[in-house]
Amino acid sequence: MVRQVIVGGGTAGWNAITTLREIDRGDSNIVLISNESPYSRMVLPYYLSKEIGESQVFTASKTRLENLNIELKLGKDVKELDSKNSKIVLEDGEEVDYDNLLIATGSSPVRPPIPGSEGKNVSSFWTLPQAREVTSKIKKNTRVTMIGAGFISFTILNALISRGVDLTVVEVEKHILPRMLDEQGAKIVSQWLVSKGVDVRVDCKVLSIDDYENEKLIKFNDGTEQKTDLVIMATGIKPNIDWLTDSDLNLDEGILVDKYCRTNISNIYAAGDVAKGIDIVTGKSAVHAIEPTAVQHGRIAASNMSGKEVSYKGSLLMNILDVFGLEIASFGAWDEEGSDTILKANLSRPSYRKMIFDHGRMVGSIAIGLGDDVWHTNDIGMLRGLIYTQSDLTDWKDHIKRNPFDIKRAFLASGSVGKLLSETLVGIPSVPEESITISS
Amino acid sequence: MKVLKIIPQKCTGCMRCELACSYEQTGTFRPSKSVIRVSAFENHTSYAPYTCPQCDEAWCMTACPIEAISISSSEAKEIKDDLCVGCKLCTIACPYGTIFFDPETHKAFKCDLCGGNPACQKVCPTGAIEYVEVDANSDWIGSFANDRSKGPSGPLVLEVS
Repeated sequence: MVRQVIVGGGTAGWNAITTLREIDRGDSNIVLISNESPYSRMVLPYYLSKEIGESQVFTASKTRLENLNIELKLGKDVKELDSKNSKIVLEDGEEVDYDNLLIATGSSPVRPPIPGSEGKNVSSFWTLPQAREVTSKIKKNTRVTMIGAGFISFTILNALISRGVDLTVVEVEKHILPRMLDEQGAKIVSQWLVSKGVDVRVDCKVLSIDDYENEKLIKFNDGTEQKTDLVIMATGIKPNIDWLTDSDLNLDEGILVDKYCRTNISNIYAAGDVAKGIDIVTGKSAVHAIEPTAVQHGRIAASNMSGKEVSYKGSLLMNILDVFGLEIASFGAWDEEGSDTILKANLSRPSYRKMIFDHGRMVGSIAIGLGDDVWHTNDIGMLRGLIYTQSDLTDWKDHIKRNPFDIKRAFLASGSVGKLLSETLVGIPSVPEESITISS
Repeated sequence: MKVLKIIPQKCTGCMRCELACSYEQTGTFRPSKSVIRVSAFENHTSYAPYTCPQCDEAWCMTACPIEAISISSSEAKEIKDDLCVGCKLCTIACPYGTIFFDPETHKAFKCDLCGGNPACQKVCPTGAIEYVEVDANSDWIGSFANDRSKGPSGPLVLEVS
């Protein structure tokens, strides 16, 4: 039987495993090498807010892995790829042979070279152990300073506030969420945060983080200082490719993959945060490092690994956040400059819509609005659909310009539903997992 | 599988489906909680009810990071309330715009075909909503959409040749 080796049990790796089994029903040897048990990083914020317990964080229970007949090598780190001999060498010296290999080693947080950024009570919030650490250190009125105002830090804002902490957010760039929002959108969100009692500092650089008795003392470049109890570093991530530097794989920020999620070596695939795959809007390669792209990569790679050839148009860069009831989403080329743009804001609600067009087709969008506005969430889904399908909106554009909050009719009339129905990702209908019986 | 087949040309815009849906889903008559929504076209002279098409390879289901979306006995993609953490990933993963979010419960919700007995279909007085066995992924709104693709004020005048 074909030996399918998966390195990494995060979103991409886990989706690859379930997809392989949906296709081959047990007709392959699947080996999972992972330094952690498979769990869902996306739900760690809800663990932090104590809405869910630790057991719910794990996507793959022992029985589930047994039912899917997966050979496990957990708690092991990979050391080296020997593609000439089709094998992986682990840190402990063990060698694992493969017929097909999927590299889904994810990404790690990076910390800027700030003096004291590795000190005590300075944590990242990326892995389960880090989440455990932060969760154990906060209680009501704990002063928390979050360095970096990007997507990752925003996913835990609600949880921190619900635990009653006194929160400061610091961003070195001109505005918060620099890779998700434009300046105007960010301003609306900043004002919303301030109204909820969060101290927001932008265009602000941290010079040092020192220990001051039992507190932390942060010095900023504007000459001010702040005492705090806990520092959370959320200053970006980088794909875990260091172990591949000496390999024959084409690397460029991440592992370059084609429309089959295949690398330059024909029996090696890469997926998720570590992969630099096709962006559906630009047609170029990009490291997205987002959950939906990891799911799609995992499924596409698995399908091709099992011999069911599926090519793919690419993934749409997209993010969504809910910050104390304000829903913030952006898609695709929202920051395209000098382009055909529809923009409307209502600061009193607040709500904000930006839609970027290229010859009648939407290529990017930002939508900010209150989550309890009845249509907001659906509009977000439809904006995503319109960008993904590249539906022709030429004759609806004037209407959308006058009424940027009336998206649903343009979505329906543009025939987007029909386009979506005829197109699936890997062409395998979703079925209840219990219906997948594994032949042994 | 049996899905909701909608014939927009028969819809009068009476909105009973939205009321019935919200009552079935939440026990209250609140169209804001309905997962079928009626859109009016051409100055309220035509209408299109719209809900989850129960697509084959379910975007929402594959995207859910905690596997809170599963397939029910009536083959609907169904969100399990006790598992959903409210991360909203499904709301952007689904390109149909048919995932809703309840700000009160902080959970996503969607059409679950009422367990195989859809309320919207039962109350529709003109038969614009059918619950029938159809080919997977059949595009019921296609011709209606095509007629309205030329903008909101579209070509309302029939061309006489």
